[in-house]
Amino acid sequence: MIRFENVCKTYKTGTDALKGVSFVIEDGEFVFVIGKSGSGKSTLMKCITREERPTSGMVMLDHFCISKMPRALVPVLRRQIGMIYQDFRLIESKTVAENVAFAGEIIGISKKRLHQMVDIVLNIVGLREKGSSMPQELSGGEQQRVAIARAMLNNPKLIVADEPTGNLDPQTSESVMALLQEINRDGTTVLICTHDSNLVDRMKKRVIEIDDGLIVRDEKGSGYSALKPTSKKAKPDFDEWEMNAPKMVSFDEMCKDLPDFPPSRGEDEK
Amino acid sequence: MTIRAFGNSVKEGFQGIIRHPLVTIASVTTILLMLLLMSVFFVFSADARYIMKKVGQQPPIEIYMKLNCSNDELNMVSQYLSTDTEHVKSFAMLNPEQNYNRFKSNLGSSASILDDFDYNTYLPYTFTVQLQDPSYAGQVVTNIQAVPGVNKVMTESRVMLFLTETTKVVNIGTAVAFAVLFLISLFIISNMVRISVYSRATEISIMKFVGATNGYIRLPYIVEGGIVGCMSAIFAFLITYFSYARIYDWMMAKIEVSSYYALLPANRLAIWVLVLCLVSGIVIGAIGSGIAVRKYIKV
Repeated sequence: MIRFENVCKTYKTGTDALKGVSFVIEDGEFVFVIGKSGSGKSTLMKCITREERPTSGMVMLDHFCISKMPRALVPVLRRQIGMIYQDFRLIESKTVAENVAFAGEIIGISKKRLHQMVDIVLNIVGLREKGSSMPQELSGGEQQRVAIARAMLNNPKLIVADEPTGNLDPQTSESVMALLQEINRDGTTVLICTHDSNLVDRMKKRVIEIDDGLIVRDEKGSGYSALKPTSKKAKPDFDEWEMNAPKMVSFDEMCKDLPDFPPSRGEDEK
Repeated sequence: MTIRAFGNSVKEGFQGIIRHPLVTIASVTTILLMLLLMSVFFVFSADARYIMKKVGQQPPIEIYMKLNCSNDELNMVSQYLSTDTEHVKSFAMLNPEQNYNRFKSNLGSSASILDDFDYNTYLPYTFTVQLQDPSYAGQVVTNIQAVPGVNKVMTESRVMLFLTETTKVVNIGTAVAFAVLFLISLFIISNMVRISVYSRATEISIMKFVGATNGYIRLPYIVEGGIVGCMSAIFAFLITYFSYARIYDWMMAKIEVSSYYALLPANRLAIWVLVLCLVSGIVIGAIGSGIAVRKYIKV
């Protein structure tokens, strides 16, 4: 669960990015954060990943106040969060499999186990055959799927995506969104910051709209614009669309052959 | 950090050396030059201290006993000097006749004027004392003056003061030069490594986003810096050792080994130069690299 309590953020330059933002996101929710450029969306995301610290107010993640968390614990927090970015942020000198494995290496997962886990997540995102390719050999959509696979590797409770479709064509964007929706179906909370009005409108998920550092709208099952009566034909449901996504395989289904995978989710819930 | 994560970091450190060969060569050269300067300074100051120590151990203290001093009083002084090994390197007692002969020999061709001199009446027993270090003179003089039978203690105070002061200056100079060279090397090497770190800034930011600790990110660079420092240290040692051995052979061809102006043999200095180069090189490389990464891990 993510809880923002009257969060304000003023940068050193004097810019008020957030002016008292409060909301709660329950576990397993799929939420879009929308708003104009400079409205404070990215600052909000950065407060969750602790790239920024609120000037006042509290950011809680599973009852832990991450806004006051000591710097030394930030890496531990980030291992619980899968991050996806518009520019994919893949290491060009490493292969696809190495990029994905990277997230596991830093927490010291054994080589054999890591290899299995990488295979599973690459299979989920439909890139098992591309494990030995270099990122620059892949298309934008494939690179973003690699980033998603990396974000999934540690089986995070939360995936934070900042403009994940910003560099992708509409068709590829849809397949990436479908993938994120599939991950969300397995219980992972997904928080997406986007400008892509078409995708937001089609998916009809919870939308938090920010304007000038304040939440101006927080609606469930909403679109890019405030809810208004529309015919189903004009705006079909996302699930009815035939996606250009890889054949979806449930995350749990993929892991059934690996008894102690996922590694931490079960333990944490206990 | 787990053992596997630690192992990965060390492996990355070794790979970093090969990944950026030009930066590695530039870093090795920079540290090498600094270590060479340090080594030359060390060798120079070691030789200066060695020469001053030998000069300072010349009999700078002479103890004059009372003319009518007893054998017991002479024994007390002898006993004191032989037990104070911490300050006294060696001493010798001269009886009136020996002093007379020494005095006569100093007069050279005019020595005949002392032919009828009654040395037993006018010349005392004396002790000449060699100290472990000229700086002990004050303390030794105070202690000896308290021993019964001692008339006066002569010290070459100006020479002693000069030697003590010079030794101090050389020691302080060496320490200051080391500190300054160390800081300069650190600054240069951290800037050199910053180039290599800059090219991997994206990688570092990605590592931070997937939950790598600062230690995990820093370790490969510290290992890389340590290896660069170690390589530089070995080169610096070899250059210093062989150059000094040549200089020693050339200079000692004209000077007696037992002379006060003899230099320290290269073999006696070798181990110290090696230790100095290795420790300084590894520390400069490791800390310099660690500092260079600092800016990029604040994500």
